[in-house]
Amino acid sequence: MRVDLEDLVFSRDSFTLRGSGTFGAGVHLVSGPVGSGKSTLALLLAELLQPGSGAVRRHGVSSALLLLQFPEHHVTCPTVAEEVRSWGLAPEDVLLRANLVGRGDDDPFHLSRGELRRLTLACAVTRNPDLLMLDEPFSSLDCVAKREACRTIEERGAGITIIFSHERAVLPRVDAVWEIEDGALTPRGSVPDVIPLWRHAPPYLAYALREGARPENIRLSDAREALCRIRG
Amino acid sequence: MQDPRLRLLAAAVLSLAAFASTAGAVAALAWWLLFTPRTKALPRPGVLLSLIAMIAATALLSAWGGGPGLSYLIRMIALLLLATWVYAETEEGEVLAVAVWALGNRVGFEIGLIAEMGLTGLAVIRQEIEQMRVAMALKGIRPGVRSIVPLAMTLIVTQIRRADEIAGLLVVRGYTIGGRVCPGFEADPRDVLASIMAVIPVLLSTLPLRDVFILVG
Repeated sequence: MRVDLEDLVFSRDSFTLRGSGTFGAGVHLVSGPVGSGKSTLALLLAELLQPGSGAVRRHGVSSALLLLQFPEHHVTCPTVAEEVRSWGLAPEDVLLRANLVGRGDDDPFHLSRGELRRLTLACAVTRNPDLLMLDEPFSSLDCVAKREACRTIEERGAGITIIFSHERAVLPRVDAVWEIEDGALTPRGSVPDVIPLWRHAPPYLAYALREGARPENIRLSDAREALCRIRG
Repeated sequence: MQDPRLRLLAAAVLSLAAFASTAGAVAALAWWLLFTPRTKALPRPGVLLSLIAMIAATALLSAWGGGPGLSYLIRMIALLLLATWVYAETEEGEVLAVAVWALGNRVGFEIGLIAEMGLTGLAVIRQEIEQMRVAMALKGIRPGVRSIVPLAMTLIVTQIRRADEIAGLLVVRGYTIGGRVCPGFEADPRDVLASIMAVIPVLLSTLPLRDVFILVG
């Protein structure tokens, strides 16, 4: 199971996005500053945008799902329970997973953006597609909810998960890191070898590297463990 | 048409003519063919065809019941084409400028502001329909009769909520009544010609055809 980007080029006004590479099974983090083209790349991978040249080719992927940057853009029904049903899921399980038990009759627009984010993330993960693309899944979430979201992503056993995020504080365990800057997508490589090469690495990873530690992954806990190892 | 005053006036006059009689509607269609960018001012084919399909279904029902179905079809299509042309050509702030020019900074500003908000709302609805189309595609929902009702409800509720938010925002910013706008307009000589020609469909719709044309029998 993999997704190939073959000399992908997409242009809109003065912005151009270019990229090549392969997303294999596992969790991929596409990091980069705000406005660097992450959402555009997500839409291209989800085939909601067509590239000017090049192609996105899926191999062995039977189902794909993109979680949009703004969770309210997913809403198509007037109640939370109906919204969950519109994803083809049973409300009880999803509301439990999203920590929204008892809110089934609420208007989805009466949920806070963080609650709506939890709801859409729970729906997407419960659907369990082969290719799951998450555009800024941690935005609007507090630290506790971000950690919960990370756990949910890590628990997804199989398939390809691609996270597009500028988050630099709370991150899940990932298998590969990509960077996108000024419209150019660069596959940095696999974790942990990629960590010293990662230009937009979170400050705690940069600190750990400066101290001579070698974190095994990109989470804060990995940096802490690596520092503990060298300090005894 | 560059001048929004003449554009809105022509649209109002032509709409009246098209609504009044089939002859007026045919003449308005001829005017639309001559003086507008025609297909460039039309919405996406899917949107246009679905609107025409709704009109055609009503016309068919009317004809089936012995009513003037064909006349209804022609008149409504003329109105639809005129509306899409005016909507496509109207730029932000033009309706407010025309209303203030016509009725002053108090009543004109109020009417113009309401009209501008309505037009902005239409643009937002278009955007939201597009977002919902994407959301449905992501969820694997096929557009159909079953999905229309919850979608329409969500759209209406969102619009009501947005109107409430805008009203609150105006109050917060200290808006009470009226405002000051100094409208400026640029007219093209062709605008004047098109506006004068817009009178012909009105004449055709109000006068009996036999008084306008001498029919040789």
